[in-house]
Amino acid sequence: MIITSAKPLEEILNLLQDEDDIFIIGCNVCAAKLKTGGEPEVLEMIRQLEKNGKHIVGWALPTAACSVRSFDSLVQKNEKITEARCILVMGCGSGVSTVASVTEVPVFGSNDTLSLGGSSEGKLLLDQCKMCGKCTIGEFGGICPKSRCPKGLLNGPCGGAIDGMCEVNRENDCVWTLIYNRLKKINRLDLLYTVHAPQEHRVD
Amino acid sequence: MLFNFREKLNSSKFLVTAEVSPPKGTKFSVSLEDVRQLKGIADAINVTDNQCSIMHMSSLAFSKLLLDAGHEPIMQLTCRDRNRIGLQSDLLGAYALGIRNICVMTGDFPSCGDHPGSKPVYDLDSVQLLQLVRKLDSGINFTGNRLDGGTSFCAGAVSGIDPEKPLQLIKLEKKVRCGADFIQTQAVYDVGMFEEFMEAISHIEVPVIAGLIPLKSLGMAEFMNRNISGVHVPEEIMLRIKDAPDPVEEGLSIASETIKEITKLSRGVHIMPVGSHKNTARLLSMAGISGK
Repeated sequence: MIITSAKPLEEILNLLQDEDDIFIIGCNVCAAKLKTGGEPEVLEMIRQLEKNGKHIVGWALPTAACSVRSFDSLVQKNEKITEARCILVMGCGSGVSTVASVTEVPVFGSNDTLSLGGSSEGKLLLDQCKMCGKCTIGEFGGICPKSRCPKGLLNGPCGGAIDGMCEVNRENDCVWTLIYNRLKKINRLDLLYTVHAPQEHRVD
Repeated sequence: MLFNFREKLNSSKFLVTAEVSPPKGTKFSVSLEDVRQLKGIADAINVTDNQCSIMHMSSLAFSKLLLDAGHEPIMQLTCRDRNRIGLQSDLLGAYALGIRNICVMTGDFPSCGDHPGSKPVYDLDSVQLLQLVRKLDSGINFTGNRLDGGTSFCAGAVSGIDPEKPLQLIKLEKKVRCGADFIQTQAVYDVGMFEEFMEAISHIEVPVIAGLIPLKSLGMAEFMNRNISGVHVPEEIMLRIKDAPDPVEEGLSIASETIKEITKLSRGVHIMPVGSHKNTARLLSMAGISGK
């Protein structure tokens, strides 16, 4: 799940200050789950923008803003989009850019995109994956140091953790302590002795 | 100089290294003057690399200034600010300028320093950086291309000293496997803990140089216990500093006693005073260590 958070209304109004006749596109997958772009949030956004003098021509809620096939598929959802002079997408950055790829009018986003994460037992799990390509998470007990260690270290912790808490944010567990505890539990501490090569960032 | 640092590492001499920071600006005379107090005392001088993520003159440039002034530098190199291209390029440049010793470390996160919003790099970690150094030493670059002249570095790394931290010990073992010639440690206040650490790594055959930061006040001791990972100032030392009429003098006495005990356990001592080296010569003589 892509983790997003809603931008403050003032920031959105500032983005839209020279725009009107706005069409809103929500996202019924990640953003809906996180309450940053599902139907209730889209309707609330319409109320707020109208309160601030904006004209909303219509709205649509595709399954996922990041899988919009074409402009025609958006017209099928709500033909009012043809009257729009700009589009506000209430999804992640990927949703905004997908919509922007099928239309000529200006496209804006209402959210900040934080990370690839998940949610479990009512808690939001940030930075579970960095989408870096070759996946080595299995060598770390299913806990990814590339995404959860702020330094992305692959061969063990830095010297900065205190009492198992991260140097960068003392509220967070040092991910290496979590990795150690997990590998100990599954009897695979041997994996910690592997010397890992640096991450390849090559784009083929 | 009869011996260089690498030769001394392989001798039986008890080593003294000391840490200095490059200036924050282009005027280097004050920093150089501070180092001058170490002449005839320190076997080599560590030059910090934007320590605590606070921007200073480059460790490479200041190491060269030390070299020109007749000192033997150990250029510190962190993984925070350069990718693998920048690291190799600086290493080749350092070698060409006559810098022969380096000490690699991860580097504090930028948010700790004076440019908290800067982009952290960490393209390599300290273990991988040691591997890279050994590649340059064998005449090839990271991707295997032949260099027009390789390097021959004496390369060290750092370690915490808490024997109860298995991850730190495993990482230290990896650093040695990847070619560390020496290890400098976090500050030692608890000699018992250091003894246990040395016991825990007794299978590792690499010279260990024990870190030392003379205490100056009770506040400093409390700060170290609270904020510096792996540093443990025992209660007994806290009380000595607290009750002392002159905490700086007491801090030097404690440090000199620690050095005396450490001589039996380690290959040397690495002095990291906060501020200046004005007391370093006296500290070493209190500990019974004469010049090199």
